[in-house]
Amino acid sequence: MIDGTIPRLAIKGLSKSFGGVRALSRADLTVDAAEIHGLLGKNGSGKSTLIKILSGFHAPDEGTLEIDGRPVSLPIPLGQSEAHGLAFVHQNLGLLADATVLENLIAGDHGRLNPWHINWRAEAARARVLFDEHHLRLDPGMAVSDLSPVKRAQLAIVRAADRVRAHQAHGGAGLLVLDEPTPFLPMEDVHELFAMMRRLTARGIGIIFVSHDIDEVMEVTDRATVLRDGHVIGSFVTAQTARAQIVEAIVGRSLTSDRIVQDLMLRSGPATHVQNLSGHTVRDITLSIAPGEILGLTGLIGSGYDEVPYLLSGAAPARSGHLDLSGDRHDLPRMTPTAAIDAGIALIPADRQKAGLALDLSLTENVTLPLLGRQMSGALLNHRRLADKTAAVMARFAVKAEAPGQAASELSGGNQQKLVLGKWLQLGPRLVLLDEPTQGIDVGARREIYDRIIELCAAGASVICATSEFEQLEMIAHRVLVFDRGRIKAELSGSNVTKSAIAEACYQESRSHASV
Amino acid sequence: MRLSDLAYQAERFGLVIVWIAVIAVFGALRPDTFLTWSNFSTIFGSEAVLVIVTLGLVIPLTAGDFDLSIAQTLTFTSMLTAIMSAKMGVALDVVIPVTLAAGALIGVINGTITLYFRVHSLIVTLGVGTFLHGVTLWISDSQTIGGVSPALMQYVIIQRFFGIPISFYYAIGLAALIWYGLAYTAFGQQLLFTGRGREVGRLTGVAVGRVRLISFVASGMMGAIAGLLYTGTTGSANPSSGTMLLLPAFAAAFLGATCIKPGRFNAWGSVVAVYFLVTGINGLSVLGFRTFVQDLFYGGALIVAVMVSQLISGRKERNL
Repeated sequence: MIDGTIPRLAIKGLSKSFGGVRALSRADLTVDAAEIHGLLGKNGSGKSTLIKILSGFHAPDEGTLEIDGRPVSLPIPLGQSEAHGLAFVHQNLGLLADATVLENLIAGDHGRLNPWHINWRAEAARARVLFDEHHLRLDPGMAVSDLSPVKRAQLAIVRAADRVRAHQAHGGAGLLVLDEPTPFLPMEDVHELFAMMRRLTARGIGIIFVSHDIDEVMEVTDRATVLRDGHVIGSFVTAQTARAQIVEAIVGRSLTSDRIVQDLMLRSGPATHVQNLSGHTVRDITLSIAPGEILGLTGLIGSGYDEVPYLLSGAAPARSGHLDLSGDRHDLPRMTPTAAIDAGIALIPADRQKAGLALDLSLTENVTLPLLGRQMSGALLNHRRLADKTAAVMARFAVKAEAPGQAASELSGGNQQKLVLGKWLQLGPRLVLLDEPTQGIDVGARREIYDRIIELCAAGASVICATSEFEQLEMIAHRVLVFDRGRIKAELSGSNVTKSAIAEACYQESRSHASV
Repeated sequence: MRLSDLAYQAERFGLVIVWIAVIAVFGALRPDTFLTWSNFSTIFGSEAVLVIVTLGLVIPLTAGDFDLSIAQTLTFTSMLTAIMSAKMGVALDVVIPVTLAAGALIGVINGTITLYFRVHSLIVTLGVGTFLHGVTLWISDSQTIGGVSPALMQYVIIQRFFGIPISFYYAIGLAALIWYGLAYTAFGQQLLFTGRGREVGRLTGVAVGRVRLISFVASGMMGAIAGLLYTGTTGSANPSSGTMLLLPAFAAAFLGATCIKPGRFNAWGSVVAVYFLVTGINGLSVLGFRTFVQDLFYGGALIVAVMVSQLISGRKERNL
């Protein structure tokens, strides 16, 4: 920050707690005019809480905000942030794919549009001028669904920049918050996006660039601020800071190990092999897993690790690959959920609400669905026996609920997840695939779920656990594979499975970046 | 019994109680004409067709699909029956299987277009139904066709048990079959997950596409059975017979989902709903109201019943 100039945005002492847990603790942040400011931190570091306070989604417990030197009272009412010169582009971009570029561009532009008559010709002309100004070759009449991912991201950014322009009357050029806009873009497109960002700052607009990717932050930002466990660890002038220094600020140094899983025992029995697996993001992955082993898969957003459980269970179509499980070879492009279940594979999906449980239906109906036609005769259902089976699963997995007949929607997240585990583990699977098994679950229930997973391994099953939570892997994984842009980048095993080692492997400079 | 159980039982049997109350009120007002066995046996017999159409809708609705073509399936198969029997002199033991096969074929067409081309079933069945109505008008030359084999009438309306035409027992038999299928078979559970948690079902190994196709075939065949009974009830087929049944059948299916097994489309709830609606309409017409009360009652009763049922269950969001 150059002395004497008024920063575009100044946050002082911002704090926010959720149910006694400090998500953000006295955070300070200054963003200068015409600056690209990186915001870095792991999941749960307080990054998204900070962004959500700025966008008016959360009210802070304490703290102040100044924009262009003028104090702004918090919380900013939803929809008012643009009037203060703040605009947001979130990872999902907020575009309606079925609508045209022009319809998306003017959506929500209530301040300017005549609500009784939209002059489409004038709006299209205005859009063309706007796109020219930003060096964006885009036809206003095109459907957004026909645009490449980078064009969509650029459209969202141009729209945000256009919205804060009205604020220029107050004297400031505005500030854009770009929240993880890049994880699904190829490298050359990321550079196109960066060029657009630099053109925006050339007109005095400030940008907060939130990213997991240290290389991108190193490349495009002027300064960067690192958050960890709700605290601001420091702000760095990017050009004067070493990469390792930033990595250390993000990860921290942990002294105690949280490991709860025992070392892997060698067991007889064939290992499970996955060969040449390719899907939407992952390319040509080969991995193997021993009986009784918990294999963790992780990586940054968009690296593809979370795709693997779905490809192995036939829930999402694989492009190539095969799976050797207990002496049988399965061709993965032809795998179906039914074949996977029959082969002894269980998938516990991350989206509990949509893919894990039918929330309207009863616990019994949810738990016994995989038994019908398998362990239970399909001709006549004995409701008492089904309820007894369910009660047994509920007891074994400590599901707290009133009765097997109640709707699954009435259970807490932790109990729902224990029920999903019970639904699948009662089948005695040989390979269990977990995707974010403890998402949105409180600490106590987490521990119970870890214990069940470890028990399962002790009984000789193999477990693959895809997660973005490094602590979780440190606690339960025997071995961890770190993914980067669809490929396995690093492997950690035994006592090397620590959250800081995993984080370092994730943030390590990747080959694709180095080659650019 | 706890209060919540009591509320649940009230919800389950609320419509039955209201139905009895409606009978009591009309009975008190017109004991001689309304409250007679002959009046009730007429209601039970003549509305069997509506019961079967409603039951036919329950199957795809449970699987999360609409079958708007079911009423025109009825019209078309009714006309097919009349033409084969009266015009072509085909024997009943050929007419019946051909008619059922026609219904099944319509189901296959609905299901194939919905699943293969991934078009919403509402659009597909609207189109197929309208198309079928055109076919019906074409093959009948827009005329009512009479002279159907008396044997069909014999097996539908003339034979009676306890004074009620045999068609009523067909409807009850089908209701029992669907109740059993939904409540006691693995297929019923698969149907339910296909409608209420399609992704959960798919990941648990339910062949959701096949389940949906079967549900369309089942509703097509129910439409054909309703068509046979319609022709048997009147001894003739008219080219607009089903048109007036579609909305009452949907009203009854949704109304039925508020009772017996609240929150789910169910067979006995549908039967109760149909007979509640037609009892009300019959009573109003006995009191001398004219035909406009039909639609007032079908529509008004549906809206009032779903509002009351939502109030009882605490206005929680329901995804039928």
